[in-house]
Amino acid sequence: MKLVRVLTLLTMCLAFAGITFGQNLTFWHYWDGANGQVLQGLIDRYEEENPGVSIEAVFVPGSELVTRLQTAIAGRQTPTMAISDLVAMPLLTSSGVLAPLNEYIASSNVDMDDYFEGPLVYGLRDGSRYSLPVSASNLGLFWNKALFEEAGLDPETPPQNWDELMEFSKTINERTGVVGLELFTQGGEGTSWQWQVYLWSAGGEMLSEDLSEPAFNSEAGEKALSYWVDLVNEGGSNVAPWGLFGRGEAGMVMDGSWMTQFFPMQVSFELGSAVFPHSEAGGPATNMGGEQAFIFEGEDETKQAAWDFIEWFSSTPVQVEWDRGTGFMPIKHSVANDQAYVAWVKNARPLLLPFVESMQYARARPPVENYPQISDTLANYIVEAVYGRMSPEEALDAAAGEVAPLLR
Amino acid sequence: MRLKPVQRLLIHIILLAGAFISAMPFLWMITTSLKPAGSLYDPPLLFPVHFEWQNYSEAWQAAPFPRFFLNSAIMTIGITFAQTLLSAMAGYAFARLRFPGRNILFFLILGTMMIPFPVTLIPSFLIVADLGWLDTYQALIVPRAVSAFAIFLFRQFFLAIPRELEEAALIDGANRVVIFLRIILPLSTPVIAASATFSFLFAWNDFLWPLIVTNSTEMRTVQLGLAMFQGQYGTFWTLLMAATVLVTLPAILAFLLAQRRFIEGITSSGLKG
Amino acid sequence: MTVNSIHSSNEGRAKRPTFSRLQQLPTALVFLLPAIVILGVFNFYPALYSLYLSFFDWNGISPLKEAVGLANYKRLLDSQEFWNSLRVTFVYAGGMTLGSIAVGLLVAILLNLNIEGRAFYRVLYFLPVITPTVAAGVVWKYLFDPSQGVVNRSLALVNIDGPAWLVAPGWALAAVVIVGVWKRVGFNMVVYLAALQGIPRTYYEAAQLDGAGPWQTFRHITLPLLAPSTFFLSVTALIEAFQVFDLVYVMTAGGPLKNTDVIGFYLYRYGFRYYELGFASAIAYAMFVLIFIVTVIQFRLTRSGASDAA
Repeated sequence: MKLVRVLTLLTMCLAFAGITFGQNLTFWHYWDGANGQVLQGLIDRYEEENPGVSIEAVFVPGSELVTRLQTAIAGRQTPTMAISDLVAMPLLTSSGVLAPLNEYIASSNVDMDDYFEGPLVYGLRDGSRYSLPVSASNLGLFWNKALFEEAGLDPETPPQNWDELMEFSKTINERTGVVGLELFTQGGEGTSWQWQVYLWSAGGEMLSEDLSEPAFNSEAGEKALSYWVDLVNEGGSNVAPWGLFGRGEAGMVMDGSWMTQFFPMQVSFELGSAVFPHSEAGGPATNMGGEQAFIFEGEDETKQAAWDFIEWFSSTPVQVEWDRGTGFMPIKHSVANDQAYVAWVKNARPLLLPFVESMQYARARPPVENYPQISDTLANYIVEAVYGRMSPEEALDAAAGEVAPLLR
Repeated sequence: MRLKPVQRLLIHIILLAGAFISAMPFLWMITTSLKPAGSLYDPPLLFPVHFEWQNYSEAWQAAPFPRFFLNSAIMTIGITFAQTLLSAMAGYAFARLRFPGRNILFFLILGTMMIPFPVTLIPSFLIVADLGWLDTYQALIVPRAVSAFAIFLFRQFFLAIPRELEEAALIDGANRVVIFLRIILPLSTPVIAASATFSFLFAWNDFLWPLIVTNSTEMRTVQLGLAMFQGQYGTFWTLLMAATVLVTLPAILAFLLAQRRFIEGITSSGLKG
Repeated sequence: MTVNSIHSSNEGRAKRPTFSRLQQLPTALVFLLPAIVILGVFNFYPALYSLYLSFFDWNGISPLKEAVGLANYKRLLDSQEFWNSLRVTFVYAGGMTLGSIAVGLLVAILLNLNIEGRAFYRVLYFLPVITPTVAAGVVWKYLFDPSQGVVNRSLALVNIDGPAWLVAPGWALAAVVIVGVWKRVGFNMVVYLAALQGIPRTYYEAAQLDGAGPWQTFRHITLPLLAPSTFFLSVTALIEAFQVFDLVYVMTAGGPLKNTDVIGFYLYRYGFRYYELGFASAIAYAMFVLIFIVTVIQFRLTRSGASDAA
């Protein structure tokens, strides 16, 4: 009897040891509400399929995530892994405490060619890759069908190009009295990330190819900015606080793929969405955002366990499920072409269809550490031009003058 | 002072107009919290026409709010108590005692209010981390147990108390601690109530520091719960406002409890005389 | 007691037992020690560290800090943005401080009268202090909406064509000051109410016996006795105004064309958006010096502030 007891005790000890030898991972993210619940559901399933691994997902408000990571890095209290807005990646890779992923990627099933190219420019430093995209979003056109009808336009036909966009906007403004196309004129990232779509479509670039010089002060840049100024002066747009479209006070707006989820819940009119109208010079374009996942330096086993999770999370079937649950855009061709995904978009979220189509034109903001400051500076001069205080040429040259030192 | 009925009416008109402007955003908050998400963009109304009570239960369940309320309560009570007592003591020393370096020290303490908190975030975090306090109540309370602001408030109030009241006791041989506890504090109910109210509101509404020094969901506070409704991709206004109303209730209760003290603190004291 | 005799309570120090400065030091230590220890560790030290950082170029996250000497301060003084922020901040701080003290005092005095519903009014006037800035921002943005907003609609009733407020370069700052005052009045009211309660009723009775009218009573009794509170409120309002950030963040984000780019927001941009911690610390110390100078001037100007510190 005694022997049995000793044996039982021994097995219990071993069992406990087994638990302690398992991996406890922490994962910081800012996916709120329903997105957070989808993430938790996936984590629960991963834990079930991989006994011995437990992942604690900690929500950190998005606006404070980088600050929280800063203090964590300074105090050596980092989580195992985290996500961040891709714009913050150049800053985060400067910390020296992110684990390079190249070897993990090489020895796994992850196929980098399957990813959309746009966001892959992020997370690189000195030839190493430190992060992988895990979600995406982009910009497109939304229009108010009721206002189109009121203005005598076909409510099912959105504008295709810049000429039509201007014409439609003017028509709506003249016939209904509300704003035709709502522009983000409050400055900051809101202004600059919208305007970059116009810049690219006009055939321009934000920075030189080696990211060392501003390139937006070009003919294409002037064309894009003049277009905005014309929209405000005579094209049915205006300078006003953001939010007119949602209140039914603007006929069209450029907004994000995530709004295909929010607008239908919040507005009282019928909506359409389309690839954003383009200029002939550069063709259709959109600005891609999203999150990237990365792992902090630490014990090899812990890093490996974190990588295993990220690899699983990035796999096509899980991403299909993730995108269907959250409304995020596919990060990979195989997801965008997945039958179940396509069927879901068509049936459940038809507004998202043009955004999926836009992925092939998606560009990313320049992956430089000073991007936020560059963005604010540029936006500030865009607003100067929109308020008529500077000509588009003067504004862009002045912006370039201030941006140049930020790239050194 | 006796008021004529006309004066009385005039005063009420002025006060009501001001009170209405003061209350407007708060009324909007309540109205929005009761709206269905679909009518969010309707012009803001001050009085509710919809009554979507389930916004409240939905908001309440979106995060572990009972735990957040407990944490906020512990933190807030700790900070309020400590700030009021310790700051009153320090304020008394600055108002009544003479010692070398008094003015320099006072200005140094005032100076701490003038350094914006964000730039001291990283060093403050490092101290708490070195003490091994991350994710604990002491990390939430101790660094904010004294308030320069409250010291200043108490000093100004004590300066206005006539010295004669203490001098009699001093001549009788009472020491300063006894005078502080027996004479000064009982005279100071209004300012204690005011200071405690401000401490309470400061602690209850604090966001950044609790976020920085806690890691686990179990140690998070109510304001961090509210952040869950303000996503990167959009704000769930109806739920956010429902949760905000719930989170703001204790602050209003605290004010209601304290406000009687702002006005009746003096009745039993010798100052009335 | 007559009106004049009130001052004797302040000037009665001649009668007071005198002590040498050192004699009270141990007692002072008892009263001050907890405050000194806690403020020292959690305020002075981080503040000094931030001063140290202001001589570096650091993004807050990299292991490398580059010592740059006074370059951050030089850059600050050379920056147009900084001088613009300073101008905006002084306008905001002046408007907010004066406005909120005047309105707060008025409300406190009215509420200190024996009128019906005082408790009800007090709660309503305090609501802005409690109302979260996010909610306040949304509502005020709507009130100031150029076409739909209540403000311009009301102005239209009296045939005034209202400005575009938050998107009009000349008006946005005025709108932010109005909201700043709105948010602060309740706080000032509470402090004034506490102080008004501290004024012994005998002073007023004496004044009445002396035949003083309400205005004279106010000028010669109420105002002087409220001076320590006024001083406290003006100093703390200025400090708050110099650091204002969230209000600007939700209402204008510093715009249009940097017309509301107060120094608190300027600091936020460099510290939390551009991750230039060294430069942000330099901004913080520039703010510190400014607030400190203004506070010292306030101490000098107000007898009461310095009354016992001299």
